[in-house]
Amino acid sequence: MREITYSEAVREALSQEMRKNDDVYILGEDIGVYGGAFGVTRGMIEEFGPDRIRNTPISEAGIAGAAVGSALTGMRPIVELQFSDFITIAMDQMANQAAKIRYMYGGKGHVPMVLRTPSGSGTGAAAQHSQSLEAWVAHIPGLKVVQPSTGYDAKGLLKAAIDDDNPVIFYEHKTLYGTKSDVPEEQYSIPLGQAAIKREGTDVTIVAYAVMVPRALEAAKELEKEGISVEVVDPRTLVPLDKETIVKSVSKTGRVVVAHEAVKRGGYGGEIASMIAESDAFDFLDAPIKRLGGAESPIPYNPELEKAHVPQVPDLIQAVKETLNKA
Amino acid sequence: MELTKDVTLVPEVSQDKLIDLYRQMWVIRFFDEKVDEFFAKGMIHGTTHLAVGQEASAAGACALLDNEDKITSTHRGHGHCIAKGATADRMMAELFGRTTGYCKGKGGSMHIADLDIGNLGANGIVAGGIPLAVGSALTAKMKGLDYVTVCFFGDGATNEGSFHEAVNLASIWDLPVIFVCENNLYGMSGNVNEMTNVKHIADRAAAYGIPGVVADGNDIVDMMNKSHDAIERARSGEGPTLIEAKTYRWKGHSKSDAKKYRTREEENEWKAKDPIKRYREVLIEAGILTEEKAEEIRKSAKKEIEDAVEFAENSPMPTVDDLLTDVYA
Amino acid sequence: MAKEVFMPKLSSTMEEGTLLEWFKEEGDSVEVGEPLFEIMTDKINIEVESYEEGVLLKRYYDVDAEIPVNAVIGYVGEEGENVPENPPEAGADNGEGAEEETARSEADASADEVQDGTGDDKVRATPAARRIAREANVNLASVQGSGPKGRRHEHDVKNVLDSTKATPLADKIAADQGVDLSAVEGSGPHGKVRKDDVLQHTTHAAAQSVPADDVERIKLKGLRKAVADKMVQSTTEIPHVTLTSEIDMTHVIDVRKTLLPIIEKQTGYRVSYTEILMKAVSQLMDAHPRVNASLDGNEIVLNKSVNIGLAVAVEDGLIVPSVKDADKKGLAQLTKVSKTLGQKARDNKLTPDEMAGSTFSISNLGMYAIDGFTPIINPPETAILGVGRIVEKPVVIDGEIEVRPIMTLSLSFDHRAIDGAPAAAFLTDLKERLENPYGLLI
Repeated sequence: MREITYSEAVREALSQEMRKNDDVYILGEDIGVYGGAFGVTRGMIEEFGPDRIRNTPISEAGIAGAAVGSALTGMRPIVELQFSDFITIAMDQMANQAAKIRYMYGGKGHVPMVLRTPSGSGTGAAAQHSQSLEAWVAHIPGLKVVQPSTGYDAKGLLKAAIDDDNPVIFYEHKTLYGTKSDVPEEQYSIPLGQAAIKREGTDVTIVAYAVMVPRALEAAKELEKEGISVEVVDPRTLVPLDKETIVKSVSKTGRVVVAHEAVKRGGYGGEIASMIAESDAFDFLDAPIKRLGGAESPIPYNPELEKAHVPQVPDLIQAVKETLNKA
Repeated sequence: MELTKDVTLVPEVSQDKLIDLYRQMWVIRFFDEKVDEFFAKGMIHGTTHLAVGQEASAAGACALLDNEDKITSTHRGHGHCIAKGATADRMMAELFGRTTGYCKGKGGSMHIADLDIGNLGANGIVAGGIPLAVGSALTAKMKGLDYVTVCFFGDGATNEGSFHEAVNLASIWDLPVIFVCENNLYGMSGNVNEMTNVKHIADRAAAYGIPGVVADGNDIVDMMNKSHDAIERARSGEGPTLIEAKTYRWKGHSKSDAKKYRTREEENEWKAKDPIKRYREVLIEAGILTEEKAEEIRKSAKKEIEDAVEFAENSPMPTVDDLLTDVYA
Repeated sequence: MAKEVFMPKLSSTMEEGTLLEWFKEEGDSVEVGEPLFEIMTDKINIEVESYEEGVLLKRYYDVDAEIPVNAVIGYVGEEGENVPENPPEAGADNGEGAEEETARSEADASADEVQDGTGDDKVRATPAARRIAREANVNLASVQGSGPKGRRHEHDVKNVLDSTKATPLADKIAADQGVDLSAVEGSGPHGKVRKDDVLQHTTHAAAQSVPADDVERIKLKGLRKAVADKMVQSTTEIPHVTLTSEIDMTHVIDVRKTLLPIIEKQTGYRVSYTEILMKAVSQLMDAHPRVNASLDGNEIVLNKSVNIGLAVAVEDGLIVPSVKDADKKGLAQLTKVSKTLGQKARDNKLTPDEMAGSTFSISNLGMYAIDGFTPIINPPETAILGVGRIVEKPVVIDGEIEVRPIMTLSLSFDHRAIDGAPAAAFLTDLKERLENPYGLLI
């Protein structure tokens, strides 16, 4: 199969859908000839023109709100936020408007929009351009939250997100943009709420998403050398969450490490851990649930400190061993 | 502000419509007065924001809209809803939390919407609806549709970032939207003269390169005329207009407001400029309405609200099973 | 404050007791000394009396439960007092606990402090370990944890379960009766085989062949059950050989006749042949230590004390009290002790101590028309003497037929500990001693 990068996969998903559906358009800052902060929309304005690749002023609240209003009246807008940190400025429109309109209106109307935004650290962009704030949006009923870890998943999930009649926050990880994977050329859809078992194992489950998935896979490979069999489950979407796959895996292994890049305190890993503890898997747990997350500090600039902020492969290995009392 | 003396009635509005607007203003007034009474009696829970005294700006701005046109409204939005064609019975049912309400009892006073008649919804977030109106206008433009979007907000909202971002977007994209700022002098307790340093809110339009117009918000005829021009401009693709409707809310901000930030004299001064009374005089003077007919209309409006109350009271409550429906499409 | 009711430790070898019967319901009032419940130990069934006065607030176990010694099985206190819903874990003074402590301190020396901090009633275990323990009815406190701070993991419980597919009692009965446990369907959690399952299995065939209304069924329980178990154990474990010898009792009868009034005057009890036999047997033990021995696994334990077990028939059962240091007692004392123990046995008032420690037993059926029989050894003893009636028989003495009072002695011995010749030598010496009883005075 053809190998392309994660960012090419995202662009392909956008372009293919825009060719098919005139209601789909993108609005965001510098997405025109500049090609977007991370080059994802590069070349698209040439194909689709400035109406549908709609370059906006630096007005995150305004463009998010305009997207909500146009979605409510029949378009399928895709907002690109340059950095996921900027959702703070668009938050009223996402949390108070987009998420709630259908419910507040008693089931009338829907808001079929996607807010795409790069998240995560590892680029030296420091505290205001490196955060992973997915727990904020995952907390809001009415929003869906997607976190693809590969180009293949990104393309299929983005198609599903655009097709969805609800507001979807679609996180793209900055350090994954350049990673390559086998991605089919034709359009395909990966249903939201369907986890992927990225690696099968019997001893310990690692639940990881976004950049933590490749790290978990690397840790699993290392641990295999020591005879420890690790199963890696990537939920792919946080809302809706594929509880069944996670519960099934943990029931099988009896041990689980939940890992994300976001700050551990109040992170979505706490939700996953609680869900496991409340589920049928509880009776099969044979070690305390282990959570790995970012340190309780802003993301520092210094590259060594930045790395130390976020769980790395050795941290995952250590955590797995701790659940096995082998640390 | 002086009363508008020599009003020219808007030529495109029929006499029947002019008479109906008189009825509509009374419905708005009686609706909010009834709601006020029910809150005082504890018959309705939550909170509400009443627009008694502001009937002319709502009715006037919507007078020239048809069904396909849109509005976005605010927390003080009952009048906008009625002006855009909502019926008092389903609105009252919503405030009673009944399944027959516009939002099946899930939205309440601040979230009444009816997409079928172009009401994109009231909004509990100050300035929250302004970007939505711009988005609605963007749809019209991108899809080549003919409708305009009237965006209501208060003087307080113009100090929100959303207002500036949204008006700017509408301006640069020449979107068919009419921004109607109902300047009732107070953002909750904050006097507009203390919170802004411009003479008129309408002056802010200059910052975005769009026309800013001051209207007598207590004069429905002036409101209709100013709106007419803005709608024409929007429909012809020339972009948005900001209309500032100078008006006054007779009641407090919400249900528990001692109104210590203003004087009784000021209130009486504005009550003297009662928009309904003024409109009645205009209609009678123009020979469109007689005293008797006017009184008949007033009574029928009152009856409409009484019927609405009866409808609401006899409507079913939602069940707990409805709690989780309509979270996602 | 409510007081715990414990499973008493009634002998040095007792590790658990089986609850046979509760005499009180929850809520009944209880006096000090009033029988509260009955248990069966590895030796005997016994009524346990209350040490406390009050109301029986809680009964944690049902009849047939096998309960470790020192375990709390209930509470007596004032009406309305709160007691735990589940039995508190047994005290830490048992061997297992100490062992666990050692293992843990090796694994994590710093953990003890923390462990202590959690209190005695908390057991560290994972949810999976708890689930399996719950389903299989395993006491987690008795499982050694392999995790940090002694945390019990799933595999710790599984290890215990694998070694105990059947309850200890069921295991024993199955072994005794040669029952293949794998053929027995367990009624316990996870198919754990209980003693009733084994018993049902063994009686299954017989039960099927007899029409149900033609029989009366008496459940083996209490003392009957204890006797049954003991007999099964003895006959299945011990290779019995029985020797018999006829004794001319002429002189013994004279001796008894002479001593009877003297001893009766001194003690109030009438000396019987049993005591004379006891005296004779105990005098011979020095010369025949193997007969006064116990078999403990692969070891023969030669006992220095001579404690003669005396088989006493009681209602629907058999009890063997022990006459301690019989070799050091004169006939008067032996008579007094024997009669007292016999009466206590019939009154069911023997203390556990009075039933423990015998090194050789005598079973006397001389009051019946029995000459000889094959007595069953009372383990862990290695021999038992069966005593028949004294009957006049014609015997040939110096070529002439004479009528003499003859008694048959039957000596059963454990062939693992004793061979035929030494056993025969003992019985021969005993015959010699009884036929010339003045040696008893030496």
